[in-house]
Amino acid sequence: MAATAREAFREAREIPGSCRARALLRLNFSRDPASGNTVLADSFQEAPLKVVRAFTLEEGTALAHLHNVSGGLLGGDRLAMRVNLARGAKVQLTTTGATRIYRSREGFSSTTQSSEVSVGEGALLEYLPDATIPFAGARYTQQTSIELAADAGLFWWEIVAPGRQARGELFDYEEFAMRTHVSALGRRIAAENLCLRPKRGKVSSLARLGPYHYAATFYICRVGLEVSRWRDAEDKIRELTTGMTRRGEILWGVSSLVAHGLVVRCLARNGPEVLPGLQAIWRNAKRRLYDREAIPPRKMN
Amino acid sequence: MKPERESTALTPSEELAHLRLLHLADSALPIGSLAHSFGLETLVSAELLRAGDLGEFLHGYLQEMGMLEVVACREAFHLAHLGGEAFLAARWIEINDCLSALKPAHESRVASAALGRNFLHVAMGLGDFHGLREAREASLGCGSLIHQSAAFGLVSGALGFEEMRAVLAYLHQMSACLISACQRLMPLGQTEAARILWNLKPAMMEVAAGSTSLTLETVSCTMPLLDWGAMEHPALATRLFIS
Repeated sequence: MAATAREAFREAREIPGSCRARALLRLNFSRDPASGNTVLADSFQEAPLKVVRAFTLEEGTALAHLHNVSGGLLGGDRLAMRVNLARGAKVQLTTTGATRIYRSREGFSSTTQSSEVSVGEGALLEYLPDATIPFAGARYTQQTSIELAADAGLFWWEIVAPGRQARGELFDYEEFAMRTHVSALGRRIAAENLCLRPKRGKVSSLARLGPYHYAATFYICRVGLEVSRWRDAEDKIRELTTGMTRRGEILWGVSSLVAHGLVVRCLARNGPEVLPGLQAIWRNAKRRLYDREAIPPRKMN
Repeated sequence: MKPERESTALTPSEELAHLRLLHLADSALPIGSLAHSFGLETLVSAELLRAGDLGEFLHGYLQEMGMLEVVACREAFHLAHLGGEAFLAARWIEINDCLSALKPAHESRVASAALGRNFLHVAMGLGDFHGLREAREASLGCGSLIHQSAAFGLVSGALGFEEMRAVLAYLHQMSACLISACQRLMPLGQTEAARILWNLKPAMMEVAAGSTSLTLETVSCTMPLLDWGAMEHPALATRLFIS
């Protein structure tokens, strides 16, 4: 990770490929020993990526809203985000609205967004974004790498929409790829290499999404927690997800990761129920793992 | 007088390798594959998957999960030809850990590992083949799982099978096991089951050919509905399969 703004600027310039916009957002959070509050100690921001400021929540958690001031990702954009939580820091990251991936024009490369996230010892990151919406003709690749230290915690979800469903646009994009790797203490505990190319492989095949349009994944991790507590958490979350499942409309499933966590999958015909469902699971899991209430981020939608 | 055809006869050692591959890829090999549905039982129970959909479903399955497993199979196959025990062990563990991380449902992950462990055990009982003992000890030593596709690749490499044949045999075994599970889950007769498996062969060849340029870092696998099925399998009221 770049130590200075000058180095960070060079990092952004080095993002390879011919493209429309290159931008780096680097956020370093640390815990202020005097107040116990987490603060945004250092940041580097390039348009269109922006964080106005970090707000302090009741328990000393820092809340930051990730803005894309261009209103969405345009064809050929290459955006990078580096987030570092120092020991004991507690951070909520959210978006100000859905992430829109616009059509990729002829001659532009795919839109890419890469994120490298490091969660230090005893730190907690809650990443709670709105849905990602690939518009008709979009080509998008997202790569996320998350590294968790001892006793680090993670609540991280992603929601993928089929397009602008309200105007009847379903799976009209060219390509949507999402690669997510989560490691704990240097060992990979979860990975997802999702790629949908609706014009080449039938998305509605039962081998892929079947009759459902939205897909969401939610990782719930705390490094070092005893296996018995994970079993208990999985059982309780399964009770919740079973209650929220309505076959033909929305499906919820939960399972344990290789170690240190759980993963929740959701498939839905329509979008509105996905976010409230994820928030319900988040509240339940946070109470079980941290004995604290989950506070949904305040934002104007 | 008939024109002379170029001889395509196999040498005795090639014939032996061929017979051994047929043996190891037989879905009746006693490794426990008949006990797992990998989430299919939930899809059938939820009335999502029916006999009429099976051909198309398995075609998609081959393109997604088949491709992932075959890439792992190939990477393990190549390990058998590399020297240096330390390198073999590190990469072997890396391949299997990567597969473990890419399988989100606990039951499917454990099922794949049970088959892999059993397959390696059976192969080790058939002779002293290079690298197999080291691979098993390395996995046991660090608590890493042994997945079926990786074990099949490693054994195939160690036994000197031709790579593409081994990959195709693996895909055939995988498809046959899933169809066999479906015969017990839905009204699917022997003739229809045989026809589905027969018709999948071009798809198996496509996947095998497409896998040559991919690695475990670049291959994708998008099966969220089956992931859901595998995650929810433990919650089914009655179950025929372990996974």
